[in-house]
Order: sequence, then structure tokens, then C-alpha cells
Amino acid sequence: MTEGPRSPAAVDMTFDVRGAHPLRLERPIVTASGILGFGAEAADLVDLRNVGLFVTRGVSLSARSGAGLPRVVEVPGGLMHAIGQENPGVDEVIERHGSAWRAAPCAIAISLVASDTKALTTLISRLELRADLVGADAYELDLTVASSTLEGRRWESSLEEATRLIDAARDGTDLALIVKVSPDAVEIETLASAAADAGADLLSISGSPIGFLPNRARTGGALADGFGALSGPLIRPRALAAIASAGRSLPIIGGGGIGSPADALDFFSVGATAVSLGSALWADPELPRAVIDSARRAAAAHGAERITDLVGVAVAGAESRRGR
Amino acid sequence: MGAQPVVAQLLAIGELTPGRSSLLLRAPSIIAGLRPGHALHLLHAEAGGYRLRRVAPVTKVDLLAGTVEVGLLPRADGGRDALTELAPGANILVSGPIGQPIDVAATSLHLLLVSDGEGFAWVRLLATSLIAAGRSVVLLLEARTAIELPAASLLPEQVEIVVATADGSLGHKGGAAELLHDYAEWADQVFAAGDRQLLDAATSAARATSRPDRTRATAKRQSRSSASAPWLQLLISHEIGCGSGVCGGCTFSGTSGSVRLCREGPAVVASGSSLKGRGK
Repeated sequence: MTEGPRSPAAVDMTFDVRGAHPLRLERPIVTASGILGFGAEAADLVDLRNVGLFVTRGVSLSARSGAGLPRVVEVPGGLMHAIGQENPGVDEVIERHGSAWRAAPCAIAISLVASDTKALTTLISRLELRADLVGADAYELDLTVASSTLEGRRWESSLEEATRLIDAARDGTDLALIVKVSPDAVEIETLASAAADAGADLLSISGSPIGFLPNRARTGGALADGFGALSGPLIRPRALAAIASAGRSLPIIGGGGIGSPADALDFFSVGATAVSLGSALWADPELPRAVIDSARRAAAAHGAERITDLVGVAVAGAESRRGR
Repeated sequence: MGAQPVVAQLLAIGELTPGRSSLLLRAPSIIAGLRPGHALHLLHAEAGGYRLRRVAPVTKVDLLAGTVEVGLLPRADGGRDALTELAPGANILVSGPIGQPIDVAATSLHLLLVSDGEGFAWVRLLATSLIAAGRSVVLLLEARTAIELPAASLLPEQVEIVVATADGSLGHKGGAAELLHDYAEWADQVFAAGDRQLLDAATSAARATSRPDRTRATAKRQSRSSASAPWLQLLISHEIGCGSGVCGGCTFSGTSGSVRLCREGPAVVASGSSLKGRGK
């Protein structure tokens, strides 16, 4: 950082992952998987020129019909959802959306959904075979998905199984690999370190923790699937704590309940190098632009040359006061 | 984002059915295109500033006054609804229409509606518009007990209302769908709106009528003027979503394939399968 304030326009907003699997984000803004579909339709909702990385809805090897209704309900401080990874399967997704990804004005990450390592390996091989059409820049490996080897629990609940899945993904591609977890993930700092050792390039702490809400008659769950994933402000402190606890093994994409530019600055300050925007985009499609403008101003006020100079300053300050 | 949000002024908060509120809004710029089956999205911030797109079925439109009334669907968590605590004069961001008009065939003269308190928000404008178009309408209306029934004055007096209560305090003791077979030959089309139990019961009752396979459409979606529009259609609510069909939060898999309720709904062709608990 320099001594005095800088011009906001002069702040470098890019974020580069260097090394064997490079990835460049022109802006530190990520759209959370599932929020804006597979891509082509997203242009009607959000101006992707204000986004650094678009993460697609989850793609599985075979079609998944998804959960029954209701899939989304409001809860105090947010919402709870269980979509059930509905998607038409990788081949159909490539046919329908592959060319749009190549033409997108931002980087594209395909979110991978697999309940076992064999399915993941085949899924990635299908995508790699069609790389000429797909034009993806990265894969997001979603560890919040249920694992068949863990009897339906999430991959992120087992360090050993999560690492095995990351290994399988890394073996299948040279694209940048983003590992996505939620604040529910087991031993998050150890998991981050293991993910780095297994060849992951980024850690996305933007997944939704699990919730449950009885229906009004208390005869079952409010969601058709019973358990659901929580989003919104109610999870923000948990997401911030998870990011602050994740160490520095990997650069972090942070998200969970970001509804304003100020919320996004909180995520940068605890260690996120980029922020993931979710359900807030439905009501505020201009949020990416607002976050960029606010982050520029904040960085400039601190005399920072790059947005990445702001990353982790709050955690560093807290540790300093604790004498660590 | 589909239709851009506009600012609507809250004129009044009323009671649509016992325990369920309605909002009267002045929003002249968006009401001209509203039809039965349409909803609006209400973009009001809850505590903490978090804004969602809440689905609110259109229950009444007054073109001359420039107003629209919408029903508030109850929150799944039973929580306090900040919208009902606003004072008249407050501004609310709204967008719409959400969904498609309900498909009533031009040849359908006798329309049977089946509803409970939850589904009443969907059928009120439908019943009103059908009467205005010179059709005959019977509404099979159910509630747990008589005091939970909507006021008959909310509907045109030409609508024949047949009441069913679970406790037998008024009308037929039992569910409204149990009465469906009495009107099966009379009705050219049937529309059911309500909770899962009512929709499942209506579907089962339709299947049990004398004409085979009456719950199935002969084609995926029919035009409004089609004579072969689905005989039984379910009007299905969803609570929150993107409103643009991309998030997957309101996708219903029925007889005619996947329906995104916010884009192609709320009417879906009845399916033999249960509405709930379909696996991943």
C-alpha cells in the first residue's frame, strides 16, 4: 500500500491464479452456482461484464430430475432451498450451453456434481472431450453434494473422502480447479491444506450449510426433501468465520449472505480474494457493479494499488491485537 | 430480469381469507396485462435489508382505479410478515406479471374450481373473470372449520359456492375434492388450487370419474382457444425465486414435462404422481 489515498479508477481489480493451472478474473466477483442457471439465460438477469467468474448450475454425468416442490422457502434471515441438482446431464448441457460459455464476457467455471469418484472421472472426461465447444476456464468441484460412499452425507464431512474426490478431479483436467465447501465442512483449515496438496487452485467457501424447518403442521419438512441448504444473512457470520479460519493454503472465494457492497467488503477483509454473490442477485441484479465500485473506493482510501491488498486485513488486525 | 421492478404504492391491507392478508396496490403501469394466473413479485426488504422476490398471486384488478390486489402466501416458517406491518402510503417494489394466464378453452362454458384457503388467492380473479365472460362457475371450497372459510362476498354472486369443512361445521363434512364427482359430467374444465393434500385429492378424484384418463392433456400446452385444453389443471404456488426461470427453485415435473412455475405456471397438467417427495 502507498501512503495516501489513490484514485479509485487506478485500483487494479484483477485476480490471477498463477502456476500450472492459471485462471484470471478481471473482477473479483463470482456468481454462485445455480443462482443464474447455466449461462445463456443469465444475460437477461445480470450484466456479466461486471462479473469475473460465472459458475454454472451443477452438472452431473446423468440427468437428475431434482427435488419435489416446494424447493425454496423463506426462513428468518434468509431462505432454505433443496433443488436436488436438477440438470439434464452433461451431454445435454454441453449441447445447449457450451457455445454460450465460449462467448461469455467473463471466465466460466462449470460446477461438477458427482456422488462417487467414478462418476466424477467420467463427467470430467466428457467435458474435456468437448473442450473445443465448451470453452470453460475452470471447474468447481462441489463438496456440498451428497456422497454415495458416505451414505448420503456431504463430501465435505470427511477429510479423507473429500481429498479422494479432489485427487480424481485433478487427475482428469489441467484447468483450474476450485473446491467448494460450506461452513459445515470438517476441519476447514486442514481441508484447505489437503486440497492444495491434491492440486486444487482455489477454495470456495460459499456453499450453504444444512438447515431443517418443519412444515406448519409439523408433520414433516417445509421443503419436500426435508433438509435444505441455507442462504442469506443468517449464514453470513458463519461464512466469515470459516473464511477467517481457513488459513492461507489457497486463495479463497468467499460468499454466503452477501446482500450489499458493505457485506462484500467484510468478506475481503477476512480473507476472501473474490466474493461470491447468490440469491441477492434476484432482487438486485446491479449488485456486482455496486460491489466493484465500493471495493475500488475502499481500496483507494487505503492507498492500495490492488484489490487483493485488502484481503485479510480485518483478520490480520484481530490477530495483531491478540498478540498472535 | 424480465419485467423491471416498478414502485407501487400500498393503499390498504386486507384479509383475503382468515389469517391470510391481501395488499391493495396502486401500480397503473403494470396492471393492464394482468390476467387470472398471473402473480407479482414483491421486492420488500426484511429486517437486515435482505430482499427476496416473493410471489403474490393477483386476486383483483381495477383498471379504472389503476389498482391491483394481491394475496400474500403464508410464509413456510409461519414467521411474521413484514409486508403486513407497512402503513398505507408505503412504497413497495413490484415486478410482473409472473407466470402465464390460466388456459381456459373458449368452448368451456361450465367451469369447476376446487380450492381451500391457501388456493383461494389463485381462484378469486379466475372466478370473477369467468363470470364476466358469461361462463358458469361452481367453486368447491374447503376449510378445516367454518370460521376459516373466505367470505362469499369476495366473489361475484353468480358463483355457486359449495362448502366442505373437515369438522362438518358447515356444508359437506370432509374435503372439497370428495364432491368433484358430482360435477364431473357438468364441468368442461376443472381448476384446483390449494395445499398438497387438496391437489392430490383432486387428481385422484378426477381419475376416478367415469371418463378414463381425464387428468391427462392430449398435448403439452394448448392455446387459450383450444377445445382440447387439459380437463384438470392444478394451480401450484411457489414462494420465492428468481422470476426468470433460471434458478430451478420452482420447477414442477408433471405429465407434460418440466414446468417452471414462474414462467409457464401456475397451471400444470395434473400428474398421477404425488407432488411431494420426488427423489433426487
